[in-house]
Amino acid sequence: MYGWIWRRLPGPAGVKAATALVLVLGVIALLLFVVFPWVEPMLPFNRVSVD
Amino acid sequence: MAVLDAPPPERSRGGFARIARTTGEVLITVGLVVLLFVVYELYVTDLFSARKQASATAALDDNWAQGRTLHGDLIDGEAFAKMYVPSFGADYRFTIQEGTDAGALEVGPGHYKGTALPGEPGNFSVAGHRVGKGAPFNDLDLLSSCDAIVVETQRDFFVYRVLPHPDELATWNDTKAARPQCAGVGTLRTDAPDGGPYGETYGREIVTPDGVGVIAPVPHRDPAALPVSQQVALLTLTTCHPRFSDRQRLIVHAVLTNQYPKTPGATYEQLLQAIGGV
Repeated sequence: MYGWIWRRLPGPAGVKAATALVLVLGVIALLLFVVFPWVEPMLPFNRVSVD
Repeated sequence: MAVLDAPPPERSRGGFARIARTTGEVLITVGLVVLLFVVYELYVTDLFSARKQASATAALDDNWAQGRTLHGDLIDGEAFAKMYVPSFGADYRFTIQEGTDAGALEVGPGHYKGTALPGEPGNFSVAGHRVGKGAPFNDLDLLSSCDAIVVETQRDFFVYRVLPHPDELATWNDTKAARPQCAGVGTLRTDAPDGGPYGETYGREIVTPDGVGVIAPVPHRDPAALPVSQQVALLTLTTCHPRFSDRQRLIVHAVLTNQYPKTPGATYEQLLQAIGGV
């Protein structure tokens, strides 16, 4: 999977590495700011009130 | 040229190797995502909540400075009071929101709607996160009996003190009751066989998530049993228990011992000196 992505990145190795880094950071940001806040209320960790 | 024309090594392997490799990569990725989620829960939500808490506190300070009264008609999600726990350090302070939905609790501790207001007879009940999101109630299990919990409203400081723990009740009057910080903290028990209306009220208890009795005006008792005028002014804090789990709830009950009307310019630091810092 990662090899497949790497081979499709354009440019020489240095540019590929930079692009890969940007991609990884983008995925992390997507997880932290969009996916996790959406998923979290459905998980049973943080219920603190009685009802 | 010959080297460039050669097919990548993976292609020369069998399909099974490729599937195994891809599966391994996916599993490692899932593992990293789960790890990142743990980091998010424990640290990143703290950052998000700290910003919301700061802006809620600024808005509340502004309201108080302008003399706008929020009392009597609390707005959902709006801050209306601050709480302090001197034994958690002089810098422990959180602004309390109205309501216990996820949005309010992300900002800070949240007041159970319909329960008493600070200083009122009945049960001023507040929920707060124990892990992540600022974790205001992280150390609730460390509160001892007689520890102060200060609630600040627009006009007053209310000093509540944690009630005796279950194992201290029997010897309370002979031991801790004499300590200066325990002035005004009694067992709330009567001579009745069941201890009277407050026979089931303890400084700390652990209940199941459906244990709404803990936020009743008289904990675990029918509210009609005791007229409001005879009710004690209690403070109840709830959070999850054990840490990292929502299996149970950790509950702390405290009783109002002092009220200090705020003079202009009065600060929490001055109050701390007045109550001896504990």
